Amino acid sequence: MEIKKVLVEIVGEENVRDALAELYVYGSDASIHRELPNVVVRPRTVEQIQKIIEYANNEIIPVIARGAGSGMSGHSVPIDHGIVLDMKGMNRILEIKCEDMYCRVESGVVDDDLNRAIKPFGVFYPPSPASSRIATIGGEIANNASGIRSVKYGATRDYVLGMKVVLADGEIVNLGGKTRVEAAGYQIHRLMVGSEGTLGIIVEATMKFIPLPKLRCLGMATFEKLEDAGNAIANIIASGAEPSMLELMDNIAIEAVNTAMKLGLPDVEAIILFEADGKVKEAVDFEMQGMKEICEKHDGKVTAMSYDAKERTKIYAGRKKLFPALSRYKEGFACTSLADDMAVPYSKMAECAMKIHEIAEKNGIIMTAYGHCGSGVMHTKILMDTTKKEQWEAAKNAVEEVYDYVDSIGGITSGEHGIALSKAPAWKRARKDLVEAMRKIKHALDPNNILNPHKLMDAPDDWLTATPIRYRVKE
Amino acid sequence: MDAKELKKWEAELNICIRCAYCFEGCPVYKELGWESDGARGKIVLSYGLFSGELESSEYIADKIFECTYCRDCVERCSANVSVPDILTAARTDLVNDGYKNEAHLELLDKIKDTGNIFGKELKSPVRNGEVPVLLGCRLLERTEDTKRYLEILEKLGIKPKVVDETCCGMPFGVLGYKDDLATHKEEFRRRFPYKKFICMCTTCVFFIRKNYPDLEAIYVIEEVVKRLPEVEHKKLGTKVTYHDPCNVARGMDMVDEPRSILKEIGVELVELPTSGKQAECCGGGGGLLVTNNPLAEKLAEKRVNQALEIGVDTLVTLCPTCEFNIGNVASKNSGKLKVKNLLDLVWESLK
Repeated sequence: MEIKKVLVEIVGEENVRDALAELYVYGSDASIHRELPNVVVRPRTVEQIQKIIEYANNEIIPVIARGAGSGMSGHSVPIDHGIVLDMKGMNRILEIKCEDMYCRVESGVVDDDLNRAIKPFGVFYPPSPASSRIATIGGEIANNASGIRSVKYGATRDYVLGMKVVLADGEIVNLGGKTRVEAAGYQIHRLMVGSEGTLGIIVEATMKFIPLPKLRCLGMATFEKLEDAGNAIANIIASGAEPSMLELMDNIAIEAVNTAMKLGLPDVEAIILFEADGKVKEAVDFEMQGMKEICEKHDGKVTAMSYDAKERTKIYAGRKKLFPALSRYKEGFACTSLADDMAVPYSKMAECAMKIHEIAEKNGIIMTAYGHCGSGVMHTKILMDTTKKEQWEAAKNAVEEVYDYVDSIGGITSGEHGIALSKAPAWKRARKDLVEAMRKIKHALDPNNILNPHKLMDAPDDWLTATPIRYRVKE
Repeated sequence: MDAKELKKWEAELNICIRCAYCFEGCPVYKELGWESDGARGKIVLSYGLFSGELESSEYIADKIFECTYCRDCVERCSANVSVPDILTAARTDLVNDGYKNEAHLELLDKIKDTGNIFGKELKSPVRNGEVPVLLGCRLLERTEDTKRYLEILEKLGIKPKVVDETCCGMPFGVLGYKDDLATHKEEFRRRFPYKKFICMCTTCVFFIRKNYPDLEAIYVIEEVVKRLPEVEHKKLGTKVTYHDPCNVARGMDMVDEPRSILKEIGVELVELPTSGKQAECCGGGGGLLVTNNPLAEKLAEKRVNQALEIGVDTLVTLCPTCEFNIGNVASKNSGKLKVKNLLDLVWESLK
C-alpha cells in the first residue's frame, strides 16, 4: 500500500498532505538547505505516532519530526525524503505541579505558551532561545536549545526531568522521572537531549521550572577597542560574578543597527550588555557594581544601567534589532546562518571576534561577531549575495577557516544551534572519537536508520552539496 | 509560469531567513495549521514560483489568496520582510497565469460597472465645502451613517467637499489585477481630482498612501484627535472594547490615536486579549471576505467571543470592513455584541 493511504488510515485524511507545494514548504527550515519529503503528517496522539513509526520501520521509510522548523542547520530538512511529522498539533500542557516544581507537556507546546501558562505561579522555564515565541519544547529538547540567559540558567538539558519517547521500533518508553536528581542507570532521557531527532520521537516531556527573579537590572558599556571588551567579559566571568546576561556586539553589528534602524548607538568597536537578576536589590546591585567596575577597568564606559522595564527595553533595543538590521546591512546581501554559534574559551573571545573579521575580509564577505559571550557563545552571521556562486565558495572557505581557528583555540563547533547538516563536516572533523561512539548508539536504538537519517555524525562531508540549497544561485 | 512580478522581489525573498517567527500571530495559520497557511509558507511558495521549482497550481493559488494582509507577520518578522507586497506580486503572477477566481472577477466587474464594490448605483452625498473628503465604497453605501460622519467634520470646523467619487481600486491591487488597477487609477483620479484630502475609510487611506504616492490622504482620525479637544463635546460614560484594524495599528502606526479619542469622550476602554500592534485580525482583509468567506467569519467570531468574554456589550472599531465582518458575525451569533464605528461615538459626544 502506498505511504499516503496507510497514513490516512492512521491519522485521517485531514492530517495528511502530499501535494508538491506542501512538500516544498516542509522541505526547508531556517537553514540554507532544502529537500522534499514524500508526505507530511500531523499526528494528534502518541498512539498515532507509534503506528506511524512501526509502519515506517517495517518499510524502512525515514521519519523526520518537525517542530516549528526554525532550526538553522537543517535539522528538519528531510535529506532522504520520507515522512515529516509535524508535531505542532500536539500542544497540550498536561500538568503543572507547583509544589513539585515541574510541568508535563506534549512536545508541540510552544516555549512562550508554556511560560505564559506557568507565570501566574511565579515561576518560569528559563532556557528559552530567541525563537521561544514559536519554538516547540520538543524541538528545543532535540536541539538542547539555550538563549541569552544561559550564562546563568543553562540550557534545555538542565531542565529535562523525564520524557515519553517513541523508539524506532515503535515501542513507547518512559525515560527519567519527576524528581530533581536521579543517580542510577544510563539516564537515556538526557541522551535524547541534543540528539536532533535521530534516536526517538519525543512525544511528551517533564520539565522543571524555577522561581521568577523579582528584580532585573541591565547595563550597557561601550569600548573603543574590541579587545578590551573581550577581556572585560573574560574578567567578569573569572571574577565569580553571576550575570543573567552578558552580550557582546562588534562594530559591524553596531554599524548595522545604526544604518538600518537609526538607533544612534555610539560609534565604538564594541558594546557589552550586562544584566543581573535576583530576589534582593542589594544582591543585584552588588553584581551590577562588580561588572561595571570590571568594564571600567578595561577602559569601558558604562553609559546606561537601569531596573526600569521601559529603560531596559531601550538599552536592549540595539541587540533586539540586530538581526533585522544585519539583513538590511547591504543592498542585495542576505543574512545566512553558517558557522554561526561557536563556543570558545572566555579568554579567546576578543581574539575570536577579530579573527572572524580577518577571515571575512580575506574571503570577500561580511561577517559580524556578537552573542551570548557570557556563556562562551560567539555568534556570527555571514552576509553575502546568495545569488552568486563565487560568494558561496568564499563562504565555504571562510567557514572552514573559522572552524579550524576555533578548533585550534579549544572551542567547539556549536554552542547553541546544533549540527544537523550545515555544521556536520567541521564537527565530525573535530570530534572523531565522539562520532564513532554516537554511531554505535544510533545503530543500537535505530538499526534501520529511519529516524532523521544522515544528520549529525552521518551527515554528508560537504555542507554546500549535502542538499540543494534554498537560494537560486546564478552560474 | 512567468513570475514577472515576483522576480522584482528576489532580494526580499532571499532576505527572509525562514525563521518562522511569523507563525506566532498569523490568523490563517492559527486557524488552519498547515505551514503553507502561514506567512513563511506563503513566502516559500512564492520563492518556488519565482525560482521555477514549483509550477503554479490551484493548491498554491488557494494558499496565496488565503491571507488577510493583516501585517502581523511584518510586525513580527526578524528581517522586516514586506510579506503582503510579495504576496501581491505572487497573486498578480498567478492571475496572469490564468488563476482567476470567479468571486474575485464578479467583485471587480461590479467596480468596473458601477464604481463601487456593491455593484449598485450609489449616490454620493455631495457637499460643496472646501476640504475634499473621500468616503470609500462602504461608507458611500451607509448613507445615514455617512451624513452623521460628515456632520462630525463640520462640527470640528472642516467644510467637507464631497463629489461623485469612485472606488480607490484596492480590490484590483490586492487581488492581483495590476493592469486593471492601472486603468482604474486613471478613473479614480478623473473622478476625484484632489492632491490633498481627508479620507474616511481605513482601507482606502492605507491603499492610497501606498499606491498613489503623489497624493496626500489624511485619515479622518488624525483630524478628530487634533480638533476634538477644542470643540464642545460631552462625556459619554459608557464602556466599550476597541478592535484595532490592521491597517490602522500596524499599517499606519496609529495605536494611541483612537484610544485618546475614547478617553476624550469619556468612554471606558476594556482592552481585548490582543490589542494594538498585536491585535488579531478580524479576517476581513486581503480579499479573504470574497476568497473564503467562512474562514473570514471564523476569524471574526474569535473577536466577537473575546469581546463577550471580557464583559462588554459594545465593540468599536474604525475600519468599515472590520465593522461589517465582526458586526455580521455578532448579529448571526447571539446578537449580544453591538458593533459600532468609533465615529458613531464621536458623533454622540458632539451631538
